[in-house]
Amino acid sequence: MENIEKQLREEAKKLLAEKKVDVIVGYEEGTLPYQAAPCFIEDPESAERLVWNKYCSVNLAKYVHDLIFQHKESQKRTKPEERTKKIVGVVARGCTTRSIVLHLQEKQYDRDQVVVIGVPCTGYISKKKLAAAVDGKEVIECSVAGDALSVTTVDGTKDIPLKEVTAANCLTCRFNNPVISDMMIGDPAPAMDVDNEYKEVDEFESLSEEERWTYFTKEMGKCIRCYACRNTCPSCYCKVCFVEQSQPKWVGAGIDETDTQVFQFMRMFHMAGRCVDCGSCLEVCPMGVDLRTFLKKLDKDAYNLFDEYRVGESLDTLPPLSAHSTEDKEEFIFEP
Amino acid sequence: MTENKANENWEPKIIAFVCNWCTYAGADLAGISRLQYPPNVRLVRLPCSGRVNPFYVVKALQEGADGVLVSGCHPGECHYITGNLSARRKFSMLKNFLSYVGIEPDRTLFTWVSASEGEKFAHVVKGVTEKVKALGPAKKLVKKFE
Repeated sequence: MENIEKQLREEAKKLLAEKKVDVIVGYEEGTLPYQAAPCFIEDPESAERLVWNKYCSVNLAKYVHDLIFQHKESQKRTKPEERTKKIVGVVARGCTTRSIVLHLQEKQYDRDQVVVIGVPCTGYISKKKLAAAVDGKEVIECSVAGDALSVTTVDGTKDIPLKEVTAANCLTCRFNNPVISDMMIGDPAPAMDVDNEYKEVDEFESLSEEERWTYFTKEMGKCIRCYACRNTCPSCYCKVCFVEQSQPKWVGAGIDETDTQVFQFMRMFHMAGRCVDCGSCLEVCPMGVDLRTFLKKLDKDAYNLFDEYRVGESLDTLPPLSAHSTEDKEEFIFEP
Repeated sequence: MTENKANENWEPKIIAFVCNWCTYAGADLAGISRLQYPPNVRLVRLPCSGRVNPFYVVKALQEGADGVLVSGCHPGECHYITGNLSARRKFSMLKNFLSYVGIEPDRTLFTWVSASEGEKFAHVVKGVTEKVKALGPAKKLVKKFE
């Protein structure tokens, strides 16, 4: 891990010094012991701030898109011949590169506008799981030692196996290494428990209709509509999100529970064949809404219905809803 | 208009999103041919089944439709060449996802009716009305307007 960090800083420094990138998006130390925050490095000296550890959670592809997009917007009134391209470097693990592949497929920016510094990943620590493991006590100190996380709270120090606090999406991850990269740091990481990828979905599918509806309404009942999930999601990049549209007004802004259900349902449905399962939405949700059970279903459907499609696996296969085929299955069509 | 299933007078409200070139013309043919079919379906004419935003379906359910029918040209016969093929992909996922969260699968139905299939249109409407009637009034996802 430290070795990767050292190499990462060197590479970042080199890229910035050679002016190959305008900015590098990476992680820096956060304000809490178990936190790493996204950061933007613009000069070579600041490259020392970069970190790479088990606390690096949110998907940085969102910031790549935002930076390039803002730059494009700021040049609207510049003469076309004087416009410049913003080149963004990004510290990217598997899921981040998959999001970048999705952005490239959806023509959000060009391949030469992004420099991918690939890093292998063995999963990050979920803040929610960690909080549950220490019964919500404040974490004073925490460090990774081998297969365990040693956490110090007011009750003293205790070792928690990493498996227990690693985010759910990481435990069954098959993309531990970047899908695309301009440079690779560190040795490739092995895939996780991929056989149980859809275990939760299969279990949920076997429940009765009423049980599923009860669970859905219970989970969506927690949502306070802060839109943190949307703001952190790399696949959510619409200029104007449907929740903010007023003509037509798709979802009411009141406290009506069906409005929340419809908002969550539609936001998740927009992830059909586009969710990379990076877990950022779960990580930022202040209420702990279980979105993954539902998002993973869309992933499973895209895999089963459209030629074993996996989001962002390669630049050549388009997202299923951006393409079509005469061979698609149509058992769902109603023929009386 | 009471929402009690036990009430024999309850009639379902069904919204149908139909494409201009096939199903709408099919419905027209059914009318010209004086075919009888239940009057529960309200047609909304759209340029193509590919124009049907999944949001229309969910919104219709939220605002009190007991059932939603989406119908367009048969695959390969789309006026816009591939509109219905995109629609088919969208709706196969939408239908699965709606039933996954626990909404009755029979509330949202998708079918193909061409311009020459007046009889099939009447048949489809009969079938949809029967299915939705069997389910009773929609309760899930329905917004209450006071």
